[in-house]
Amino acid sequence: MDEPKGDTIVGEAANEPTTESVPGDAQVAQGQAAAPVKRARGSLLRAVLPIIILGVVLLVLPTFIPSFLQSLVTKMMIFSIFAMSMNILWGYANIPTFGHAVFFGAGGYAAGILIFHAGISNFWLNLVLAVLFAAAVAALLGFPAFRVYGVGAGNTNPIYFLLVTLAFGEIAARVAIWARSLTGGSTGMAGIPYPDLGMGLKMTPSRYYYLVFIFAVVCIYLMYRIENSHYGYGLRGIHDNERRMQALGYNTWLYKYTSWVIAGAFGGVAGVLFAYFGGVMTPNSLAMQTSEIGFMAVILGGATLFAGPIVGVVLYVGIEYLASLYLPDRWPLILGAMFVAVIMLMRQGLGPMLVDVWRRLIRGSS
Amino acid sequence: MNQVLVTGLNGLSYAFILFLVAAGFSLTFGVMGVLNLAHGALFMLGAYIGLAVVGRLDAFWFGVVVAGLGLAAIGFALYYFFLRHLYNHPPEQGVLTIGIALVVANIVLWIWGPFAQMGLTPPRLTGVIHVGDLAFPIYRVFIVGVGLVVLGVLWWMQDKTRWGAIIRAGMDNKDMTVSLGINYGLVSTLVFVFGIALAGAAGFLGTPILGAYPSMGDNLLLLTLVVVIVGGTGYIQGTMLGALIIGVLDTFGKAYFPSAALFTSYVIFVIVLLVRPSGLIGRKVF
Amino acid sequence: MALLKAQGLSVHFGGLAAVKDVTFGVEPGERVAMIGPNGAGKTTLFNLLTGQLKPSTGKVFFKGKDITNHSVFSRTHLGMARSFQITSLFPNETVLVNVLISRQGTQKRRYGIVGYLRKDKALHGEAQRLLESVDMWDLRDEIVSSLAYGRQRQLEMALCLASEPELLMLDEPSCGLTTTESADITARIRDLGSKITVFMIAHDMDLVFGVAQRILLLHYGEIVAEGTPDEIASNETAREIYMGAHKHRRADA
Repeated sequence: MDEPKGDTIVGEAANEPTTESVPGDAQVAQGQAAAPVKRARGSLLRAVLPIIILGVVLLVLPTFIPSFLQSLVTKMMIFSIFAMSMNILWGYANIPTFGHAVFFGAGGYAAGILIFHAGISNFWLNLVLAVLFAAAVAALLGFPAFRVYGVGAGNTNPIYFLLVTLAFGEIAARVAIWARSLTGGSTGMAGIPYPDLGMGLKMTPSRYYYLVFIFAVVCIYLMYRIENSHYGYGLRGIHDNERRMQALGYNTWLYKYTSWVIAGAFGGVAGVLFAYFGGVMTPNSLAMQTSEIGFMAVILGGATLFAGPIVGVVLYVGIEYLASLYLPDRWPLILGAMFVAVIMLMRQGLGPMLVDVWRRLIRGSS
Repeated sequence: MNQVLVTGLNGLSYAFILFLVAAGFSLTFGVMGVLNLAHGALFMLGAYIGLAVVGRLDAFWFGVVVAGLGLAAIGFALYYFFLRHLYNHPPEQGVLTIGIALVVANIVLWIWGPFAQMGLTPPRLTGVIHVGDLAFPIYRVFIVGVGLVVLGVLWWMQDKTRWGAIIRAGMDNKDMTVSLGINYGLVSTLVFVFGIALAGAAGFLGTPILGAYPSMGDNLLLLTLVVVIVGGTGYIQGTMLGALIIGVLDTFGKAYFPSAALFTSYVIFVIVLLVRPSGLIGRKVF
Repeated sequence: MALLKAQGLSVHFGGLAAVKDVTFGVEPGERVAMIGPNGAGKTTLFNLLTGQLKPSTGKVFFKGKDITNHSVFSRTHLGMARSFQITSLFPNETVLVNVLISRQGTQKRRYGIVGYLRKDKALHGEAQRLLESVDMWDLRDEIVSSLAYGRQRQLEMALCLASEPELLMLDEPSCGLTTTESADITARIRDLGSKITVFMIAHDMDLVFGVAQRILLLHYGEIVAEGTPDEIASNETAREIYMGAHKHRRADA
């Protein structure tokens, strides 16, 4: 590393110290951005191995566990898609949002409405239409939302954006309550049947588990491709230094907007899978209660790791289940306490900790 | 016509309650850049605490004081133990305060149960004033009065006092203000605590009109957000304007167009976002 | 035809005119420097030219086109590139990734979601050439925030060149550099060739006199002198301003 050796300093600003605290751009260094996105070094196999192991485990799991656990894991997989889609925004594009559940709920409700009010019982057609609807909602909400976020909006002020997205979620829930004839009002929509894949196959919880598994694998793989594509690196650049990106020729508004829509589409996929899973859609699926799962997972698992949110989802769903067994009325209290604890004690999330543990395991006894 | 005036008073008093709770939020948000999403829950807590005090001691004014001071203490603890460490990390502040809101709401549910409580007006403020044919509830007039006083005090402080100047300077350029030797940390803490205390007191003062119920926190939070975004931050007048618009429109909507009432506030919210993102009377942030 | 032209540019903040009726042109291949005391409005004018700020009145032309209302990124596509006074990089990424991201900024491939960026051989080749031209290829895997300040400045320069601009706008390129590093930057700017035009704000007189063919002196938002380095060096107004006689000027104006 070069160090200036006693030369005279020229220019207005004093020479910056040459330790690790050298700031890139002063504004960015002020900590406005989320935690840095680190890349896992090391061989490809070491990086992919845990995912392969996880995949294998999930594949054989149903044969070993009772059906209620299988159901729990299905839920974890669905919300993994949701949380990973949220991480496109939180972790990669640096767009923290409190309203991601709007897309989840939009997808789920659309699926239900298409079945009950449009008579579309084919799963695939339903899925495509519902996801398109979720993406359309994202496309529409993106305009007012991005009026209050980003360098182009005059000032980088994530608070406003957080407030606005939170408001969107709550408003969406209230709209769902109001549109009783379509959505079933505050009690929601029930009785969504298991999906008809149109292949003459009768759907069972086991089969649904594998269907969700396939979706999770495909979605997460697609998200991985997107996040590591040319476009994805554009997002990372905007995350780190939006002003610089504009100077380099990037239409940063377009990037953020499209990432919002893409994340919304994946969120919608999760919503559709959820609708078929439980058979029920309630206004809460649009509101903070569901968005919480997302950002809890992102923060718990760590936004810095690609698969961090999955860790967070597993923890969330797991603890929620345990709470429902032993302390059913106190779950919001436990969840709230978890939020406080994670933020105050583990802001980087558990993901990086687990990566350390994994690395130590891989290195073996040496 | 008569009905319009009565509804107008209802809308006005509702608007002032919204103003009282939104003012606290606007101060902490606009002044300190702190995102406190527990604000609604703390308003609710003020309502419940005040009602509990009144239930024991049958003294309305004592309830106001306890609600205000109690929430001031809680606000201080919230700032000192938690929010202080999260300066400049709005998403984390948001998540943390959502957590606090969940905890508070659940504790309220635990202690006081799921059923709504009604607040009772103190004897001297019960009843109606008769103006011609119309009957205006005295308590609502009282609320408007209180709101006007608070508005006046805050407005005066904002424009005419050194405190106000310091706060405005801090909003524009915190580092500069600090480097001028002003203990901005102290100012921030005081402003935050005051904002929470105001919300707590408002919570209890509002109980004869709004009652107290466990999901009140969420509702009030959403209303506060809408008020603050529509009115704009940085100026107390903005918060008042936002509260007026939302409060009055919402009340009139519920009275005359019940099915569409829900949407007037939200439609305005979206329109303001698209057209004037900084709010109607806000510091030009966008 | 002038490559860059400012015409009657003014911008007001409240009652204060930060830039007053500025008109000048930069010919293709020229090296122009803008100097002036602190607060003269150099950065403001710079931001007006590069698009970070919109003028209250006046126009900006680039290659004959009115770009006054063009966005920042659109100007980059037209051939303008700018550096930042406070180093503006991607601090958590490696040097290589910094350059990769910068290089694709004006290319269609930046919207691609199908391929992996890290497997794009063509882009990597272009990045390599760029890094080698500033002798930073060996540092390609270093995280930017751990680089020495001088190196970061060099990288800053490399990022500007990534879009192969016709006009390079430099904001205090030698800011914070040692005399050695400064001399290095001066040489690099000189060696850019006639295909690139350079417009810079500078305080470092060695840099200015070493590179500039024409100098603009800005004071209280107005151009008060313009000419070759020799002309400026012997200019009365310039001397007054830099020697501190400008207080009296204020009363006259």
